Amino acid sequence: MPRRWRWLVPYLFLIPGGLWLLAFFVVPMLVMASVSLQEGSLGTGYSMTWNFGVYPEMLTQWATQFVRSLVYALIVTALTLAIGYPVAYTIAFRGGRYKNVLLLLVILPFFTAYIIRTLSWKLILADNGFALGTLKDVGILDDGFRLIATPIAVVSGLTYNFLPFMILPLYVALEKIDWRLVEAATDLYASRAQAFLRVTLPLSMPGVFAGSLLTFIPAIGDFINSEILGSRDTTMIGQVIQRLFLNNNAYPEAAALGFMLMAGIMVLIVMYSRAVGADQLTR
Amino acid sequence: MPDERQIERAIARAFRPRRRLTRRAFLQQSGRGAVIAGSALSLPAILAACGIGPGDSPGASGASQAPLPSAPAGVLDFANWPAYIDIDEETGDYPTLAKFTDDTEIEVTYTEAINDNEEFFGTIQPDLAAGNPPGYDIIVMTDWMIEKMIRLGYLQELDHSRIPNFDANALELYKNPWYDPNNAHSIAWQSGITGIGYNPTLTGREITTFDDLLDPEFAGRVGMFSEMRDTMSLTLLSLGIEPADATVEQAAEARDKLLGPAQSGQFRNFYGNEYYDELANGNLALTIAWSGDVSQMKLYDNSDVEFVVPDTGGMLWIDNMAIPNGAAHPLDAHMMMDFWYDIENAVPLTEYVGYFSPVSGVTERVLEDAETAEAEGDTEWAEALRVISATANPSDEVLSQVHNYRRLTEEEESQWNDYFNEVVAG
Repeated sequence: MPRRWRWLVPYLFLIPGGLWLLAFFVVPMLVMASVSLQEGSLGTGYSMTWNFGVYPEMLTQWATQFVRSLVYALIVTALTLAIGYPVAYTIAFRGGRYKNVLLLLVILPFFTAYIIRTLSWKLILADNGFALGTLKDVGILDDGFRLIATPIAVVSGLTYNFLPFMILPLYVALEKIDWRLVEAATDLYASRAQAFLRVTLPLSMPGVFAGSLLTFIPAIGDFINSEILGSRDTTMIGQVIQRLFLNNNAYPEAAALGFMLMAGIMVLIVMYSRAVGADQLTR
Repeated sequence: MPDERQIERAIARAFRPRRRLTRRAFLQQSGRGAVIAGSALSLPAILAACGIGPGDSPGASGASQAPLPSAPAGVLDFANWPAYIDIDEETGDYPTLAKFTDDTEIEVTYTEAINDNEEFFGTIQPDLAAGNPPGYDIIVMTDWMIEKMIRLGYLQELDHSRIPNFDANALELYKNPWYDPNNAHSIAWQSGITGIGYNPTLTGREITTFDDLLDPEFAGRVGMFSEMRDTMSLTLLSLGIEPADATVEQAAEARDKLLGPAQSGQFRNFYGNEYYDELANGNLALTIAWSGDVSQMKLYDNSDVEFVVPDTGGMLWIDNMAIPNGAAHPLDAHMMMDFWYDIENAVPLTEYVGYFSPVSGVTERVLEDAETAEAEGDTEWAEALRVISATANPSDEVLSQVHNYRRLTEEEESQWNDYFNEVVAG
């Protein structure tokens, strides 16, 4: 290619991905945006009325479920971070020749379908299943005790399902750290804790940032865990959208909720990247 | 509910080889693309272009329906509910379906794709509205959904000359029903009653009435249905209101009755078909239930459970086979429908599923089979068959306790849905 066309190369490389996003992201989004502003019914068909009122209406009607999803997703992100960081740290620095085996174990659950994994928790934690049933027989738990159909089960299910999404980016970030920097810090009289807080942790922040986004975003829109492990009082916004779409054929309302969820997530991400520093992602 | 099965099916469907588009559907789709592309690419124009067509626009019922082909295609896609056909427990095969294939050389793809009327309708509705093939030749839907789909023009008219067994063998209850005059679009598959299933060892007493479901003594151990019509109709009956005549105001009363208990944690959850496992394994002490499920559960999963029609009344439902618009193999579908009205095929079906059979003479035949089993020394199976034969047809007493669903207009339906959503989502 002649030198004067060189500047085109990066754009050429963007074409496949760009077309893909256009066809499978931009176009469906426009369709959904359109649907959210229409009014009508199955019998008469839907037509565009620019009904922006559906947005505030849906937001007030389903505020509880929005807030609940946000709270659950935040707890799940914090829990996966608290559980995942030590795991990733150990694999990265103490894994030795077992590193790959340990990483394989982390992603092993992905070899089974998401739904199957969640359903099996329902069986394992059933009120009189082998976990709770045994504890009840021994007398450790009260007969009326249950985990399924409680918020604890939903949050635990989400945490379990999204944990690998936290561990893997953390591992990648930690693994890159030059251990000699930590040694240098201790040589300069930093305690182990100080070395961790002032060297390892800051250097692993890109992993924390990426991991928390990968966990938070799917968790807030999830509708499987609450449906299978939860009850009426754990209803998340994803379930509401799903119910409006499939059960009630209330397409405009469901589309509007979907858009607000997406907008909410984007606002939160912008705030988060401002706070942590967006350059963390690319470092 | 986002049913796990439904999602797995959706995945399976995505991987299934794509059906050839009919010329008509293709033109419609490309036509819509052209509209979007041609609309000057201004955002408002694009947004305005993607309206959703009315129910009976493309390829609708009636005169415009294409005549049946002269020969069967040799393939058939049949969507049904879980555990709603005889299954060989050891091999997982469907013996009676296999017999159909032997008789007709029609290969049947049988999928347990339906878990909830509304949810299944929600998954095929966009295809039906757009005039695309929905991917199924026979679907099994409950009476009120059949009524709605006929109203929207989503079902093909049946050619009764191709289903002579129905006219000869169907019981009167299933002929010319309220939701489909003259069975123009549907014929019954099986039917049953929505009432209450309970486990006496867990409730500690006999359950007789709907209000037992709201008794604080059972808080957290009660199941409700996520199907709006079943739950709302039973509640209306408990208020002394005939569901078929209920007004929107009365639906609001039903909501008010359920809302308090729902908010105080009376109900463990709102279930689709999966209430079955929860009742069988003891997580639920009592729940709204379908009659045949409880008979099956009693035989196979939990001998303690009982079914009762609440003293304020239960709901009679009839599930029907119907052919959706755009179905690729309508003649094969007619042959399949006719097949089940041959008593030789209806009997093994009833002996497995335990619901009401729409075919005359099934009760007697099941009883004969019980005697044969007794004579052969299989007393356990003989006993099971006796239980089934007793419930294979509703008695007059039972029929006097059950009611029909309301034909909801679209406006009423959306009101009722709003009320019910308040109850199911906390």
